[in-house]
Amino acid sequence: MSTEPLLEVRGIDAGYGDVQVLSGLSLKVEEKEIVTLLGSNGAGKTTTLRCIMGVVRPRTGEVIFRGQPLSAQPASERAGQGMALVPEGRELWPQLTVRENLELGAYHQRARARAAQNLERVHQLFPRLLERKSQMAGSLSGGEQQMAAIGRALMSEPSLLLLDEPSLGLAPIVVEQMFEVIRSLHQGGMTILLVEQNLQAALEIATRGYVIETGQVKLTGTAEQLRNDPKIRAAYLGL
Amino acid sequence: MERFLELVIASVLLAGLYATMAYGLGLIYGVLRIVNLNHGGMIMAGAYAGWYLHSEFGIDPYLALLPVGTVAFLVGMGMYRLLVHRLPRGAAGGVQSLLLLFGVWLVMRNIAYLLFTGNDQTVHTTYATRAITLAGAQVSVNRLAVFGVALATLGILHILLTKTYFGKALRAVAQNPESCTLQGIRVDRIYALTFGLGTALASVAGLLGATLFPFNPSFGAAELLKSFVVVVLGGLGSVAGTAIAALILAAVEVFPTAIPGFPTYLTAALGFVLLVLVLVLRPGGLFGQRVLG
Repeated sequence: MSTEPLLEVRGIDAGYGDVQVLSGLSLKVEEKEIVTLLGSNGAGKTTTLRCIMGVVRPRTGEVIFRGQPLSAQPASERAGQGMALVPEGRELWPQLTVRENLELGAYHQRARARAAQNLERVHQLFPRLLERKSQMAGSLSGGEQQMAAIGRALMSEPSLLLLDEPSLGLAPIVVEQMFEVIRSLHQGGMTILLVEQNLQAALEIATRGYVIETGQVKLTGTAEQLRNDPKIRAAYLGL
Repeated sequence: MERFLELVIASVLLAGLYATMAYGLGLIYGVLRIVNLNHGGMIMAGAYAGWYLHSEFGIDPYLALLPVGTVAFLVGMGMYRLLVHRLPRGAAGGVQSLLLLFGVWLVMRNIAYLLFTGNDQTVHTTYATRAITLAGAQVSVNRLAVFGVALATLGILHILLTKTYFGKALRAVAQNPESCTLQGIRVDRIYALTFGLGTALASVAGLLGATLFPFNPSFGAAELLKSFVVVVLGGLGSVAGTAIAALILAAVEVFPTAIPGFPTYLTAALGFVLLVLVLVLRPGGLFGQRVLG
């Protein structure tokens, strides 16, 4: 079926120890969309992304990618299948060089063959990373670390890119650059699932959005619908 | 002056062995956060393997290095899959892993007592007593060979860690395992390979040591402690740091022998005096807290 979504999350429950974070959360991401997950702190946005990547195991429910259920596969298989996460807080390897961080992005077999080419593309997207290639990743500024984290994810040639709070802790001008990069990646054909606290900016570039509260989808619609929803305007945009 | 040169040469040659000995311990701790107390057991096993191959089959200990190292690598991988893999990691797993690996060491040691008795053994090669003159000092050919092998081993390790995907992944796992999983690195496989590599290094060091010193099933205990000193001094996994730390330990042990009347039984204690001093003055090691950088 050609109408099959690229990613489908079907009724997942997940949590840490006794704390239940997600209860019956479902969402879909179609090919070439930018979908944004909105919600306050602790609503379960990051946990949703971690379930999709397999580093948190849902207790029930299923994550389906290209029609394939993933629950039986180890998390380390995701990269090879075309999923990449830019985690909250970047999570680079601080004592590896920028270059090594990027190279390890292309660790899985499919990407390794084209690592040199992709490295060049990442350097075109973020020329700063070329300047900093021999520096330890831990010594980069916040914005540069975010570039390195996105670059590392792109090195794995994903067809679905998950971004967790890419603007967190960055100066406004760098945030603008990040959104510009996300937009250009989308125009290049990338499917993106974006978690963002900067609601206004997220709804500007997204095609659709989900509002999550206490581990469940409370509201969903096109970006336009969500932007004009009075509840959202009141609760999140302060308008 | 000539005496001084001799001491320097002796220190450098001994340092090669110490660095090889310590590297495996540091590598395993750096990546898995587990103190491999069985390091001493594998040093002992390497010594007996070399001795057995030499005395039974006449195989030169230097030719035995590669097969012994390879077998030890596989043994290490197997031990990881069978035992270590089940242990809790990090601060929470400290006690369990210490006890388990200490237990493995005791078992290995007692197997060695059963098989080979507690008598001291030596590996007698034809060149064991040969010496050449180097910059005016008499230097044992065998010690030079041990140093050469140690240098080559550390060089290969350095290339492995900095130039290959496996080596970079290994260092990345030491720093942030979850990021590795996200990039498709099978972290558990890296753990197994690292444990194998560290175990292989221990056996190689043991085999090299066997060509220099007499040994019995307790061999490896003092070597484990010396490895600790080097790891604490030199930091984790940096080849250069390990080499410098090994050199410092060797010099601390070698130089006092020139003092007339210095009791030789005290040389082994000097390393620990050094360890205590470093822990008090520079708890992060001489070169700070770099992890497998």
